[in-house]
Amino acid sequence: MSEVVEEHPSLIPVINRFGIRLGLGDKSVKAVCEEYRLDTDFLLMMINTFLNEEYFPEKKLQTFHTSQIIDYLTKTNQYYQRYQIPNIERHLGSFISMSTPGNNILNLIGKFFSSFKEELTSRIEKDDRIWFPYCLSLSEKLKEYQSSGQIEALHLGTEQRLEDPIEALLADLKSIMVKHLSGDYNENLCYAVIFAISSLEKDIKQHNRIRYRILTPMVSAMEKLCI
Amino acid sequence: MHRNKQIAIILPDTLQSIGLQSMLTDYFPPVEISHYPTFEALSASGNDTFDYYFTNAASFVLYADFFLPRRSKTMILIDGVESEGGVSATTNHITIKASQEIIIEQLEQLFTGDNNSISSESNKELSTRETDVLQLIVKGSTNKEIADKLNISLNTVLSHRKNITTKLGIKTVSGLTFYAIMNGIISGDDIEL
Repeated sequence: MSEVVEEHPSLIPVINRFGIRLGLGDKSVKAVCEEYRLDTDFLLMMINTFLNEEYFPEKKLQTFHTSQIIDYLTKTNQYYQRYQIPNIERHLGSFISMSTPGNNILNLIGKFFSSFKEELTSRIEKDDRIWFPYCLSLSEKLKEYQSSGQIEALHLGTEQRLEDPIEALLADLKSIMVKHLSGDYNENLCYAVIFAISSLEKDIKQHNRIRYRILTPMVSAMEKLCI
Repeated sequence: MHRNKQIAIILPDTLQSIGLQSMLTDYFPPVEISHYPTFEALSASGNDTFDYYFTNAASFVLYADFFLPRRSKTMILIDGVESEGGVSATTNHITIKASQEIIIEQLEQLFTGDNNSISSESNKELSTRETDVLQLIVKGSTNKEIADKLNISLNTVLSHRKNITTKLGIKTVSGLTFYAIMNGIISGDDIEL
């Protein structure tokens, strides 16, 4: 396991979400999973989909339990709130204060980021309060149905998902900095900001893939069975 | 911002399709690729808006009625190291046994002709009308309100919006607001960000 993490340090936050901490030694993925009592298949699937954008085995992902998926999404949400957002804010703060004062554009970038943060925070809040509990309650209900003899596989529809506003905002933020920045600014800190934004963007893309292509179809299929 | 190249790969060989897809994605982004194992699958999809077609010589000859008029947009995979006469002389082709370097060059040739036209059409500056539309978008007007105010049809508003997004590379209203303030199209006081 240590080899893959050395090769792809961007995995560190992903395995942290599962509770795995560094100091991996020479343990295999299987051994690590046993130690932390994790579902090896699920962990591998998450790592693989995270690393490889082409790899997205929808059918197989949909066989995992709703609670596993929700648990993972909740943890990614927490990671955004606790680490990645504050991280970008820190970089952005020093970027703005270290660059020539009076470059108004930078202050505007700061404001734009705050509006993004608000959007993301409110989505996370809605997830925790409404959406995730709803998904879980559906899956509980379904279990009762199935134990009462009505065993029927989920029939998942394939809906096209709409553009995600969070992803779009981040892409715009990056694009604005790359294409429309002007005036004096600190290059090094600017790179730090863009780098941090990019890594958040990548993470959110993965999160959204799971959210829209796995969870959403699972839920609508469960709704059809329960209601 | 360049539009995604829409590409159809019509090849029965899965490994070939995937290999081709990965080269196209790696070296010629942005691309959007659809796979069809057979020509029938392509016609069944009813989609005929692809920018490029990749297929093998057999399908090309068999469905010449379809491919010949699209010759300049079609790439034929030829089993060999070097190109010989015949079909290959007049059509775009990849020699599948050649080195990766040569294949990339062959792909480049196909795409270069087109790239020029794309870059010339993406003129960065917004037109006056687009600036008007942008001002209203940023002030929070709906498409309908913009159409009424500027006395243009709803479709025109939509096409202006599309052009603005393409030219600036910015999709969201917040992003556009930011751009407008930055460029003095609207003053920061008019609006709450």
